[in-house]
Amino acid sequence: MSAPHELEVGLGAGALATADMVLNIGPQHPATHGVLRLRIVLDGERITSAEPMVGYMHRGAEKLFEVRDYRQIVVLANRHDWLSAFANELGVVLATEQMLGMQVPERAVWARTLLAELNRVLSHLVFLGSYPLELGAITPVFHSFREREELQAVMEEISGGRMHYMFNRVGGLKEDLPAGWLARVAAAIAAVRSRLPDLENLVVGNEILRGRTLGVGVLSRELAVAYGVSGPIGRASGLDVDLRRDDPYLAYGRLFGPDGPGRVVTRTEGDSLARLEVLVEQVHVSLDLAEACVDTLASLPRGPINVKLPKVLKVPEGHLYRWTENPLGINGYYLVSRGEKTPWRLKLRSASFNNVQVLSRLLPGNLVADMVSIMGSMFFVVGDVDK
Amino acid sequence: MSAQASDEPTRGPDRGIGLGGGLLRGLATTARTLLRPAHTAEYPDVQPELPPRSRGVIALLQENCTVCMLCARECPDWCIYIDSHKETLPAVGGGRARQRNVLDRFAIDFSLCMYCGICIEVCPFDALFWSPEFEYAEFDILDLVHEKERLSGWLASVPPPPQLDQGAEESKEVAASARRIPADPEQSPPVAPESQPSTEPTGLRLHPRQPPGPTSTQPPTEPPTQPPLTGGSS
Repeated sequence: MSAPHELEVGLGAGALATADMVLNIGPQHPATHGVLRLRIVLDGERITSAEPMVGYMHRGAEKLFEVRDYRQIVVLANRHDWLSAFANELGVVLATEQMLGMQVPERAVWARTLLAELNRVLSHLVFLGSYPLELGAITPVFHSFREREELQAVMEEISGGRMHYMFNRVGGLKEDLPAGWLARVAAAIAAVRSRLPDLENLVVGNEILRGRTLGVGVLSRELAVAYGVSGPIGRASGLDVDLRRDDPYLAYGRLFGPDGPGRVVTRTEGDSLARLEVLVEQVHVSLDLAEACVDTLASLPRGPINVKLPKVLKVPEGHLYRWTENPLGINGYYLVSRGEKTPWRLKLRSASFNNVQVLSRLLPGNLVADMVSIMGSMFFVVGDVDK
Repeated sequence: MSAQASDEPTRGPDRGIGLGGGLLRGLATTARTLLRPAHTAEYPDVQPELPPRSRGVIALLQENCTVCMLCARECPDWCIYIDSHKETLPAVGGGRARQRNVLDRFAIDFSLCMYCGICIEVCPFDALFWSPEFEYAEFDILDLVHEKERLSGWLASVPPPPQLDQGAEESKEVAASARRIPADPEQSPPVAPESQPSTEPTGLRLHPRQPPGPTSTQPPTEPPTQPPLTGGSS
């Protein structure tokens, strides 16, 4: 929207002078995911300043980590971003394994990569459904949740959970794959992929939705870097960073290698539409990656899926930072151990926290009608903001 | 993969707003979907088919519990309550008197439980199991503390674990029996699980309807009104 339309109400000699108005969005506003509160100052319909007030859902996760052993931490860690539970678990166990110098069996590495990519698709599909919902389009959410159901069925079959998978363990996965599961994953991927064009048409192909998002809330690359914005939001602003390629973990080194199916999706426009487009295309990439993982897993020789752990798992003294590319951005754990069975400190760097902060720079100057369009396109989970 | 239709105006230099073709295509999608059967199920009438690993509720096999307290200690939010007392068994036939733990109370507060399954994992005597049963909602949060009678009632709905993928390492039991066979070859005909080692579901060999031992003084408080959800659906 290059030239913002504004309706000036005139009375008599001239327009009414408008006084600044403070508007609270949330913490219970239906258009906010969960309980993010925005304190917006309005001049007429135009936003003059915006301040995200976070912390309504603060659960003290980092403090709780300190009194739990490494298996119990996984339970808590998968809950801060409830849409990407598997990716959250992954960071904890990768950090712990790296500190222990533990070698994880190859089957576990590929199975983890597969589950992480399926989890990424699940998370992206939520936003592909809920973002149009916030803009007033009801239909896409039914399509995206149908695809989610397809993938959640296989996730539930292997892990027993639909959201909080609790399937990672230090040294591998909790249990091996059920017989025939890989074939069902391949079928689910094929089914989702075959119906994805429908959803794409409904979302990025819809003129109304494009009208609401094109050129709205342009986030420059510099601002994204300054605020530590990462993930699909950062990549939509041309920030070409993807830890799966740039700091490979699991099997991503192979998948993003010269002849692997992995590629990093970027846009340069930085508007709400670009963020949405990155999400759509990342679903395609993730399905490709998942398919490659299924093929590799089927061809791997027989072997274990985890490492037998000692009764009491103590991590040697030291510290380590392990970051992973979560569906919403960079998710990092800074693990400090003093050689005990609980971490001395486990700092959590969550993607949504940084992604939401940039709203204070992005919203001013926009119309209040575009507020939901911009805020929704930051694709955050409040639990991930408030930790 | 580039699965996107090439005629789609969503990417590339033309990022403009089209003339309404997208709206028509959306309506066509809706019309197509209208003709397809619904993806949802009428839940109370149609029961969901849940996989055997589903984490619905925790079932307790009381006879296997030795009151070692590992589950209560390892629980991340300490929602398992166990009480017990020691009982001295009189000496039988010249032996010495033996002590054993008797379980008085085993309760799980499902309003606190995070469904992580650590208790089940750490139990060294296979006394706890996941059941896919999920219909135990209550009107009062205090009623979500379930005592051992209720927990044992859920045993009937515990499904056998699924068979594992052919790439999986063979289970401890199968590997151990395969090692034992060469030692005494006359034993091999009755054991003989070697033909399909990985397809044998091992690990869960309980007969929940006939609990062993004389402890069946209490009747099952709640006879399951429904058939088990997924008994052996694999």
